[in-house]
Amino acid sequence: MRSLLPLLLIALLGLSCSKEPAITDDMLDSGKVFDPSLYKPELYLLSKAIPNPTPAQATRPVIIACHGYSATTFEWDEFRAYLAGRSDVYLSQVLLGGHGRSYADFKQATWRDWQAAITTEYEALVKAGYTNISLLLSSTSGPLLLELVASNYFSGRTAPRNLLLVDPIVVPSAKSLSLIGVVGPMLGYIDTNQPAAEDKVYYHFRPQETLQQLQTLLDVVRKDLEKGIALPTGTTLKVYKSKQDPVADPVSAVLIYNGVTNAAGQATDVQLIDSKLHVYTRLRLRSDVTTADQQNQTATFADIVSRVLR
Amino acid sequence: MHCSTHTLFRRGRLYHRLVLTATVLSCFAALTARAQERPAGAVLDLGIRSQKTIGLYTENGITAQFAHTKLANQRLYIGVTYVTSRLGTALNSNAIKQDNYLASVLYLFRPNWLVRPLVRLNAGYFRADYGSDLFRDLPQTSLLTSPELGVCVCPRFPLKLNVSVGYNLLTGDGVTGPGTLYPVFVQTSLTWNVLHKSTH
Repeated sequence: MRSLLPLLLIALLGLSCSKEPAITDDMLDSGKVFDPSLYKPELYLLSKAIPNPTPAQATRPVIIACHGYSATTFEWDEFRAYLAGRSDVYLSQVLLGGHGRSYADFKQATWRDWQAAITTEYEALVKAGYTNISLLLSSTSGPLLLELVASNYFSGRTAPRNLLLVDPIVVPSAKSLSLIGVVGPMLGYIDTNQPAAEDKVYYHFRPQETLQQLQTLLDVVRKDLEKGIALPTGTTLKVYKSKQDPVADPVSAVLIYNGVTNAAGQATDVQLIDSKLHVYTRLRLRSDVTTADQQNQTATFADIVSRVLR
Repeated sequence: MHCSTHTLFRRGRLYHRLVLTATVLSCFAALTARAQERPAGAVLDLGIRSQKTIGLYTENGITAQFAHTKLANQRLYIGVTYVTSRLGTALNSNAIKQDNYLASVLYLFRPNWLVRPLVRLNAGYFRADYGSDLFRDLPQTSLLTSPELGVCVCPRFPLKLNVSVGYNLLTGDGVTGPGTLYPVFVQTSLTWNVLHKSTH
């Protein structure tokens, strides 16, 4: 309710306002600042860094890390730093389709485009010969992956070992998103009012078309979960969910817990984290980071690595 | 491409539902050329209610409403309703089981018309069952309060069809309230006046 009234008010104002946001050159939206993985993909994508692995390299665990809606590879930079110096695990940071480029690119992309970047890297790694692949997904990447599992994408392919979801979204905290199909065309876009430092790594403006895409994706995945999603044989899933997530409603974890089983029909693993942050594993550029936040981040990173190396 | 097709499909389905609803209402109106005459005594409508939350679940249940000549000349109804996802989306699915208990006050405008505008105010209690102790720290209950606007189709015989759009003033964000409490819903209820006495 609190979030809906401002949205409706903005929608009414939007009827008489410009539908084009005031983008400045230092924003990711501008088309002048890009995600660094576009300049140097070999520093982010394992398929570009080691396209022809040796047999030893090919069996080493790989973590494909994917970010959330409107974010960039930045979201997993701290995990890359955490892994620095380790030679027993690879990290491949994927930039979702339509992200990290420009407002226009973002506006045009569908959730299928966002998702295609994940499958492109996954298929490139499988084709290169990598056999031990896990996926680490924050926020919207979670439903993007669940949709792949539900649609039997991994059937007939090398199945991933671990699916690790950090603050996945199935139900948004702002329930006004359910009305985006009506109010969206009046709004045109939403201004996030995020700090200027974040403007270089998160889109500042969110086109209503992309919010409609997000709502469509969440509807599809929620219905898939209602029917039940079975993981491929040999794949495990763990959800790490912030208890007071202000963006992805914590009840998303309930829907995933109730809706996903492993190949043997057993429930998945869910860990609720005492945190007020969304994607609590990303602390850089946040203000008021507490010791507890840092401990949550470190504990989760350690748990992820231990699961992947199991 | 897939997404566009999906959206069109969804819109197509919605359109067909609207056409179907309009056709049913038209047939209903045609079959009952005259409006229901106001009964002399009290009215006790009992029936079923189906509620679809925009962006979430369908919930079904039972409803009852009472009117008396001394209550605003039978324009004012007081009622109780129970709707649950257990009889809707959560039936044979993994959807969250949730219950809504409502007390309501309804006012009918144009009491001599076949199709009467209505306004209803609901207050009540919401409870969600997450099915595992793992989620005991998440909010699962809330008070409910919602206005509804709609119409009542009241034909000659003691049947009433109410269709309205409601707005939950209290919703949940998963931190201060249950995450499956959404703002906008559409409801349909079909009731029968069990106190109706035939004039024949």
